[in-house]
Amino acid sequence: MNTAVKIGKLTLRNPVMTASGTFGFGNEMAATVDLERLGAVVVKSTSREPRVGNPTVRIVETASGILNAIGLQNGGIDNFVEEKLPFLRQYDVPVIVNLVGYSVDDYVYLAQRLTDAGVDGLEINISCPNVKHGCDFSVDPALTGELIAAVRKATDLTLITKLSPNVTDIVPIARAATDAGSDALSLINTLVGTAIDVRARRFRLANITGGLSGPAIKPVALRLVWQVHRALPAIPLIGMGGIMSGLDAVEFMLAGATGVAVGTATFVNPTAVTDVVDEIEAFLAEEGMADINELIGGVLPPQSH
Amino acid sequence: MPAEAVKRFEAPVVSNVEIIPDHKVVTFVCPEIAQVARPGHFVNILVSDGYDPFLRKPFSIYRADPATGEVAVLYSIVGRITTRMARLRPGDTLDLVGPLGGSLFDADPRQGALHIMVGGGYGVPPLVLFSNRLRVADPTARLAFLIGARRDDLLLCEAELLEAGFDARVSTEDGSRGLRGRVTHLLEPLLAEAKDDPVAVYCCGPTSMMEAVAKLAARYGAACQVSIEVGMPCGLGVCMGCVIDLADGRRVRSCLDGPVFAAGEIAW
Repeated sequence: MNTAVKIGKLTLRNPVMTASGTFGFGNEMAATVDLERLGAVVVKSTSREPRVGNPTVRIVETASGILNAIGLQNGGIDNFVEEKLPFLRQYDVPVIVNLVGYSVDDYVYLAQRLTDAGVDGLEINISCPNVKHGCDFSVDPALTGELIAAVRKATDLTLITKLSPNVTDIVPIARAATDAGSDALSLINTLVGTAIDVRARRFRLANITGGLSGPAIKPVALRLVWQVHRALPAIPLIGMGGIMSGLDAVEFMLAGATGVAVGTATFVNPTAVTDVVDEIEAFLAEEGMADINELIGGVLPPQSH
Repeated sequence: MPAEAVKRFEAPVVSNVEIIPDHKVVTFVCPEIAQVARPGHFVNILVSDGYDPFLRKPFSIYRADPATGEVAVLYSIVGRITTRMARLRPGDTLDLVGPLGGSLFDADPRQGALHIMVGGGYGVPPLVLFSNRLRVADPTARLAFLIGARRDDLLLCEAELLEAGFDARVSTEDGSRGLRGRVTHLLEPLLAEAKDDPVAVYCCGPTSMMEAVAKLAARYGAACQVSIEVGMPCGLGVCMGCVIDLADGRRVRSCLDGPVFAAGEIAW
C-alpha cells in the first residue's frame, strides 16, 4: 500500500502532520509519540524575537471544541535554531516550521535563517487571530501576494501558506498566495469566537476573543478545503480543523486535501496523530485501496433521489 | 529537556467511595503509573459522551501502590467530569492520561530537617502521598501536616493522617474544627519554634493560600515548594494554556515545567 504524498518539493511517508501550536517543538512529545511514523512535524509558531504571549485565561472549553488565545508565545528564532531544531534532527522526520512576523521583513529574515538552518519546509502563518495585526495579511489578497512573493525570493524550501477562515471569500487569498509562489496551502486556522461566564457576566478569555478549534469546526474546514480544491485543483492542500480520527482525515482527503494535520485532538489523546495514521491505513486496507493518492479530491456528488 | 513518555489508559475501576459528602476516592488498576508515580504527579481524566465534555481535567495522585498496581485520586464532585466520575462502579473503566508533571516534590535532604506539609482543599491528597513516601524513606523524619479548610465538612484526610500516626493539625475559617482562622496561623508558631533548624514547607492549595504560605516561609528562612493548581487543558506541555509568570520574567507551563516550583521562583 502506498501512503506517500507529495507537497511541494517534499515527499512525505504519509499525509499526517501535527498542526502548529498543538505539538510544541517535538521535544515535549517525542517520548510519547513515535515521530518517525509521521508525515512531518509542524512546530509551534516561531517569531524573530521571543514572545511571552497573552495573559491567562488562554484556553476555554466550548461545545465540542476549545477557544484559545495563546498569543504566539515562543522562544524566538535563535532559540529554535540553537536548541529546538537539533533535538528534532535526531529523528527521521521532515520538520516544517510555522513562522510569524509583524512585517514582510520579519518573514523574509525568518525564512532565510530557517533555510540556512536546514529545515524541510516553511508554513507561513498569516492568520493568527490572537495577536494585534495577526490577520492583516490573510484578509487582503494583495498583501498576501506581496508577502509570499518576498518570502519566495528568500528561499527554495517548500512554502506552505496557512490561511484564515475568517474572510468573506477564501479563494482570492488562496490564489494570491499560490500565484506568488506558495507551493501549498494549509487550511484552516482557527475561527474567531468568544465565550461569556453568565454568573460573573465576564468574558472568559483574558484576550476576550480566541480561535475556535476541535470537532466543532470540522464541517467549516471541510467546506473550505473543498472550495479551494475546486478553484485550485493543482495546488496541494493540507486540511485541518477538528480531525479526531482517521476517518475524519479521510473526509478531508476526499474533499481535496493532499495532507492532513491533527491538532487539538492531541490535547485529549496524546497519540492522536499516530492513531490517525493507523486508522487511515486500516481504512485503505478495508477499502482495498493500493494508493492513498486515490482519495484526494475523490468525493462524489450526493446521491440523487 | 525532552519530556517523559505518557500514555493513555483504560484503567479498570476497583472502588469509588465517598469519604466526606461530595468527595470521593476512585481507585483503579494501572501498574505502569503505580510503578513510577511520585508526589506531584497527576493524571488527566475524561469521562465523556462523545465530545461532551471535550477536554480532560487534571487530578493529583493520592495513592500509588507499586505492589498491587493500584492508583487512587481524590476528587470533589463539582463539574461535569467529576459528576460522571462519581457514577463509576467497580469493573467500569477510567480513561486517563499519565503520569503527568515534569517537576515534582523533592524531600529536603538536609539532616534533621523539619518537613511541614501545608494543604488546602484539594491540595491535600498529593501531600498525603508525599508524607507516606517520606516516612517510608526515612522513618525518623520530623513531619507535621497542616490542613486548612473553610468548614469542617470540607476537611480532607485528617482522620486518615491521625490514624497513620502523623502530627496532623487543622484550621477552619469558621472555627467549626481545629484552630479558627487560616492555615498560616498554624504554620507561623511551628516556623518560630523551629527557627534554628532546617525547615522545609511543601504546599498545595488555592493560589492565595500558597502565596501567604510562601511569604511566611520566606520570612522565617524556610525552604518552600508549592504545587501550582491551575487549569491544564492538555497536561503535556504543548497547549500553552496553563502558564504562570516567574520572578525572573519567564512565563512557563505549570504542567511540564511544574507543577512543583520553589516558592521563591514564582512572581506572586
